[in-house]
Amino acid sequence: MLYSLCSVDGVSGDERSASEVALSMLKNYTDDCSIDDFGNVTGHIVNTGNKPKLLLDAHIDRVGLIVSFIDDNGFIKVGAVGGPDRRVLAAQSVTIHGKEKIKGVVSVLPPHVKSGDGVPKIEELVIDTGYTKQELESRIELGDRITFDCEPTAMLGTRYCAGALDDRCGVASILVALEILKGKELAFDLDVSFTTQEETGERGAKIAVYDLDPDYLLEMDVSFAKTPDSDRAKCADMSKGVMIGIAPSLSRELSNSLISLAKTEKIPYQLEVMGGETGTNADTMSVNKSGAKACTLSIPLKFMHTPAEIIDTEDVISTAKLIAAFAKKGGAANG
Amino acid sequence: MAELFDIIKKLCNADGTSGDEGDVTKLILSMLPSDCDTKIDPLGNIIVNKKGAKTPKNKVMLAAHQDEVGFIMTYITDDGNLKFTTVGGINPEVVIGRQLHFKNGTVGIVGGKAIHQQSPKERDNPVKLDTLTIDIGASSKAEAEKYVSLGDCAYFRSDYTELGNGYLREKALDDRIGCAIMIDMLNSELPYDVTCVFTVQEEIGTRGAKVAAYTVKPDYAIVLETTTACDFAGNDGEKRVCELGKGCVVSYMDRGTIYDRELYHLGFEKAKEIGAPCQTKTLVAGGNDSGAIHTSVGGIRTVALSVPCRYLHSPSCMIKKSDVTSTARLAYAMYLALAEK
Repeated sequence: MLYSLCSVDGVSGDERSASEVALSMLKNYTDDCSIDDFGNVTGHIVNTGNKPKLLLDAHIDRVGLIVSFIDDNGFIKVGAVGGPDRRVLAAQSVTIHGKEKIKGVVSVLPPHVKSGDGVPKIEELVIDTGYTKQELESRIELGDRITFDCEPTAMLGTRYCAGALDDRCGVASILVALEILKGKELAFDLDVSFTTQEETGERGAKIAVYDLDPDYLLEMDVSFAKTPDSDRAKCADMSKGVMIGIAPSLSRELSNSLISLAKTEKIPYQLEVMGGETGTNADTMSVNKSGAKACTLSIPLKFMHTPAEIIDTEDVISTAKLIAAFAKKGGAANG
Repeated sequence: MAELFDIIKKLCNADGTSGDEGDVTKLILSMLPSDCDTKIDPLGNIIVNKKGAKTPKNKVMLAAHQDEVGFIMTYITDDGNLKFTTVGGINPEVVIGRQLHFKNGTVGIVGGKAIHQQSPKERDNPVKLDTLTIDIGASSKAEAEKYVSLGDCAYFRSDYTELGNGYLREKALDDRIGCAIMIDMLNSELPYDVTCVFTVQEEIGTRGAKVAAYTVKPDYAIVLETTTACDFAGNDGEKRVCELGKGCVVSYMDRGTIYDRELYHLGFEKAKEIGAPCQTKTLVAGGNDSGAIHTSVGGIRTVALSVPCRYLHSPSCMIKKSDVTSTARLAYAMYLALAEK
C-alpha cells in the first residue's frame, strides 16, 4: 500500500494521480466516494444521520518543485512547492511531470572546481535534462511539477524509506483503520478525506471540510522523529507508537480520551505537545462552520521534506488501531 | 558501440570504492577474452597483456581506474547511527538526503533534522561532513552491528538512466567508462601488442597507477578518464571547463600533470584525421592516474583522453554518449600512432 501511494507524484496543486490511487483504495470500504474539483478525495463510510460525525483526514499532496523557466540551452529554473529542504537537492535525480515524464538532475559543481559556499536558493537551482530548449518544449511546459526520485525501500525491521511518506503514511493509517473497522458497529457516522494543497497552506482541507462538516476530527499527519542532530525535546522516538497531539488549538477533551483509550487498548503512544496551532489540516478543519473538536495523531518521521523520508510501519499500525478504537467506542463523544 | 554501453552499464552496477574494488575486479575479469595474459598485482591492479598481429616499435600502456568514490564506516553511535568518512573527494551537499547501500543489501539514508526545525542559518549553510550520519533503521548499536561493521563501505545507489537526447546518468561513470573502452578494445583483434591496466586506488591518490606503471614500464601511456564539465546554467566562459557533446577532452595540464606537448598536439591531429570531435579544458583542475604514471620508471610520456562529465563524484554523474564513442575512437587511433611512432 505504501509502495503504491509513494510511487505516484501528486505535488501540491497537481494531486490527481495520487488522489486516484487513494480513491481506488478507499473504494474497498465505500461506494460513496469521489474526487472533487480541487483534487480532494472524500468518502462517506457510515451515514446513519443520527450519530455525531467523525472525520478522518490526511493530506494527499507532497512537496516538490515547479517549472518556472527554460533557458536557451534547455536548463530549467524552478520554484518551490511547499518547503522542500534545499540542503539536500544537489545532484538529486528528479522527474518532471509534463506531457511526458522527463528525468533530470539538479546541477552542482564538483569538488574539483567548487570554491564558493552556501546552500543555493531555490531560484538558483538548475535542472539538467539533456534536452535542448526546443526538445523540451514539446515535452514539458511552465507550471509542470517536479518530484525527487526515491525508490520506496524496506529497511531494517519494519522501517520503510520513500519520498512522500509525508503524508501518504497518514493516508495509509486511515485505510488500515477502515480495514479494522469493516463490519463493526461504530459510535459515529464516519467520513474520510484525503485533502490537497496542505503543503501550500491547508487549502484543500478548507474546501473539503465545508460540506463534510464534522463534529469530531482526527487528523493523521507526520511529525518529527529524533535524529542525531535534533533537539531531543522537540522530537518523538521512531517505533514507539502514535503521537497524540495536545495543543491549545486542539480539543483537550479529545486528546485525553484518546490517551485513555490508548492505555486501555494497550496501543503504544507518545505525546506531542504544541504551543498554538499544529501546522496540520486540523488548524483549518477545526474552525469550519461552527467548529469541530479536533485532535492530531501523528506518525514519527525522519528527514521530513527530503527525497528519502523514513517511518516505522508499526507506528502506522498503532495509529490505525487508535483511530479504530476511537471510532468504535467513542470516548469524548459518548462521555 | 551498443556493446560498449552495455559494458558500461554492467560495470557501473558494481560497487567498488578505493581499497574495496574486488567486485569490480571480478566483473572485469569475467569480461576479458581468454587470449589475454592477465595478472593481478599486490595492490589489486589488473594488468592485461594482449598479443596483436605485430610487435610494436614502442610499448603502449592504456590505463583506467576501477575504483569509484564511496564511504567507509568509522563509528557506530549508541543509538545505532553510523558515522563515516568519504573515500575520495565528495562534497557533503551531494551526500545529505541520499539513499546509500552496503554490499550486503543494507540500505541507509543520510539525513538530519527536518527543515522545520532548522534555524535560518542552518538552512543557508552547507552541512559539514563530520556532522552527517547514516541511518539504516537500527534502534541501537547492537542492532546496527548485526548488519554493518567498522570499515564496511557504502555506495551511492546505482541508477543507470538514459537522459534527454543521447545522455546517460549513473553513479560510477568515473571511471568505468575508461575500463569499458579497454574491455571493448581487448575483445577485438589488435594490430599490435598492448598492455591495459585497470588500476585501483585512483580516488585516494593515484596509488595503484604508480606501481602498475613500474611493473609495465611502457614507452607511452594513454590514460582514459572522465573529467569535470561545468557547462550548465550559471557557468560562463572558462568556468564551463569543457562541454558535453564536443568530443574527447585532451588535456594540456591538470593538478597532477603537465602533459607532453607533442602527444597533446598528436591527440588533436589524430582526432582530426579520424573525424572525431575533440576539445581541451579551459581550467587547470582535477587530476588523474597520469600524475603517477608520467613520473614513474624515470619518466613515461603520457597523454590523457577524457570523457567530459557533469556532476562528478555525485550519484548523478552525467555524460553524452557521443563523447564516449569519440573518446574510444581517439584512444584506438592514439594506440596505433604511439605503437608505430
